[in-house]
Amino acid sequence: MKRKDTVKLISADEMEFIIDKDAAMVSQTIGNMLTSPGGFAEMELGEVTFPEISAVILEKICQYFYWALQYSRGKETEFHIEPELTLELMMAPNYLHT
Amino acid sequence: MSNQKKRIFQIEAFQNRVVVDPKYAEKTWKILVHAIHEIYNHNASGLSFEELYRNAYNMVLHKFGEKLYSGLVTTMTAHVKEISKSIEAAQGNLFLEELNRKWNDHNKALQMIRDILMYMDRTYIPDTHKTPVHEPGLNLWRDNIIHSGKIQSRLLSTLLELVHRERTGEVIDRGLMRNIVKMLMDLGSSIYQEDFEKPFLEVSAEFYRGESQKFIECYDCGDYLKKAEIRLNEEIERVTHYLDAKSEGKITNVVEKEMIANHMMRLVHMENSGLVNMLLNDKHGDLGRMYNLFRRVPNGLAMIRDVMTSHLRETGKQLVTDAESLKDPVEYVQRLLDEKEKYDGIISLAFSNDKTFQNALNSSFEYFINLNSRSPEFISLFVDDKLRKGLKGVSEGDVEIILDKVMMIFRYLQEKDVFEKYYKQHLAKRLLSLIVKLKTACGYQYTSKLEGMFTDMKTSQDTMQGFCSSHPELTDGPTLVVQVLTTGSWPTQPSITCHLPFEMSALCEKFRSYYLGTHTADIRSHTGRRLSWQTNMGTADIRYKSNFWEGLEKMLAIMACVKGKNVLRKEPMSKDIGEDDSFFVNEKFASKFYKVKVGTVVAQKESEPEKQETRQRVEEDRKPQIEAAIVRIMKSRKVLDHNNIIAEVTKQLQSRFLANPTEIKKRIESLIEREFLERDNSDRKMYRYLA
Repeated sequence: MKRKDTVKLISADEMEFIIDKDAAMVSQTIGNMLTSPGGFAEMELGEVTFPEISAVILEKICQYFYWALQYSRGKETEFHIEPELTLELMMAPNYLHT
Repeated sequence: MSNQKKRIFQIEAFQNRVVVDPKYAEKTWKILVHAIHEIYNHNASGLSFEELYRNAYNMVLHKFGEKLYSGLVTTMTAHVKEISKSIEAAQGNLFLEELNRKWNDHNKALQMIRDILMYMDRTYIPDTHKTPVHEPGLNLWRDNIIHSGKIQSRLLSTLLELVHRERTGEVIDRGLMRNIVKMLMDLGSSIYQEDFEKPFLEVSAEFYRGESQKFIECYDCGDYLKKAEIRLNEEIERVTHYLDAKSEGKITNVVEKEMIANHMMRLVHMENSGLVNMLLNDKHGDLGRMYNLFRRVPNGLAMIRDVMTSHLRETGKQLVTDAESLKDPVEYVQRLLDEKEKYDGIISLAFSNDKTFQNALNSSFEYFINLNSRSPEFISLFVDDKLRKGLKGVSEGDVEIILDKVMMIFRYLQEKDVFEKYYKQHLAKRLLSLIVKLKTACGYQYTSKLEGMFTDMKTSQDTMQGFCSSHPELTDGPTLVVQVLTTGSWPTQPSITCHLPFEMSALCEKFRSYYLGTHTADIRSHTGRRLSWQTNMGTADIRYKSNFWEGLEKMLAIMACVKGKNVLRKEPMSKDIGEDDSFFVNEKFASKFYKVKVGTVVAQKESEPEKQETRQRVEEDRKPQIEAAIVRIMKSRKVLDHNNIIAEVTKQLQSRFLANPTEIKKRIESLIEREFLERDNSDRKMYRYLA
């Protein structure tokens, strides 16, 4: 069921998250990955593995992507972060450039 | 507070090792170097972007950014040097292609590297004020390839060689050229200029210097200019296809200088094909081309203009001193007209109506026409001749055109008063000879009035002179010009009272007393002379200094407060006073003995439009009168049929005018529309009055 405009994000503990490309591009890093010339593996396979990001965090990150998209389109809601995730979650944006 | 108990965030969840282990850095770096190699070797597929990105990220995060950066530079340098070798090794024609290919590869690699090292670009670089990744990438290329000893000169000569080949007619790979040139531009505009443009311009200058020398030996002026034009357009096209747009002006300057500016003099003065030849033969195409090319170089147009001027003066001088044409004034003037027309054509068709050329033309004509002091006389003879011919059935329009042309020539005369003197004489002679002919043909009686008119005009002149000299105080006020006409000699018209403004009537009185005073001792008359003012024949020049249009209109209205015929003759002849109208009232007064109807001396033609206007006005005036009559009749009769209405209305209006039945019918319709009347439902011919 893999449509062309989706991408698969795989966490360290091998959880797979399939999200829209648009959402994924909220992260500039992921965007680069998918558009960089040279035929990197990610682009070829349409999936990105994050061996250093856990599923829980990655899930939250995906939620963030969608929320960011909605927000940019005018739907201004709040993004709720569970306090226990905060610290780890903080590093993600830095890494993902988002 | 409650969170502390939970202690869910653990530092081990923080997955990045806080290890400042140099070995770690070395290990990470090795991974990256390997990746860069692979990238340069086109083996990048299969590499994980994420892994590389993470490694670079980690290095920077753990303060190994410096190592990363310098390592990057070293690695890239090595690669670029290798590339340089492979390009140098390329044979002959493949050189440029190899360069182009490698350049594309390099750019792609650079992009990939930049992407993986994005984190470094974002954080490390700004912090340390180093240049972002792609810049050292370009600089490396510039230093090791473009400026490499073996490549630099070869590149330049290859490019110039291709340009040269194209100039000699070969077809070259423009796409490749464009890419290479773009590469130079991407490396910096100074690279483009120093490494290509400057030498290109120098070589081009040499090329065109040689070519122009060759051409000028074997082509005539017209053909040479054609060639120059072609080359110029070629260069412009070249720029659009594969050079930087900024080069256009520079290369066109080169062509203009070498092909045109350097040979201007020789071209213009070329025997049998230069400017003079073109002028003589009306070669508009060549002249236009010369104009367009020469206007691009300094003093180009000035040169054309000067040569044209001196040529024109020379030929003009010959024209006016040629013994043959001096014998025939009409021929003389005709030739002048032809010359003027010729040059007008040249200036408008080839020199795009350039004003400076127009001025040169004018000054030349002025110069040579006045070389011959008989020019005014000849021109007046020419005019005379044409007017005479005009009477013989040549269309008035044609004569007008010719006279317009003559006027242009006339303007060049410096001694315009000489012309006037001659023309007066010619005109007078012609009129008098006409009268003599009439006398012979029709007898004395016929012409006596005409002669009388002439005599009157002469006498009036003398009278005026006398009047003015005896009343010197009047020079400041309005000027009066009086023509005293003998009754009987002049055609008659009813004279109408005109209320003259005070200044004018006072002046008239002064004249009257002067005139009568000087003629009291006239033996001829028994009853003394009597003057009656024929203001309807007069014209007045009004100079009204005012900014207010309404004031002027008012004044004009006062002056024209004459019933029926206006004292002021207006041009154009319309009811309304427009801005461009001019009024003429020049007091022509007349008559001894009795008040005689003296007609206007105005040409009959002019009353035609006036007549029509009056007619229209009258028609308009009649309409309401007819309507009033209809209403009156219907009011009393209440119901009446069509024929009877017509009869009644006609009878009522009889004293004023003869009503037109069609017009009456129209009026009835109009009244029906406005619901004063209605038609009877049963009988269409019956009308009913509506209260």
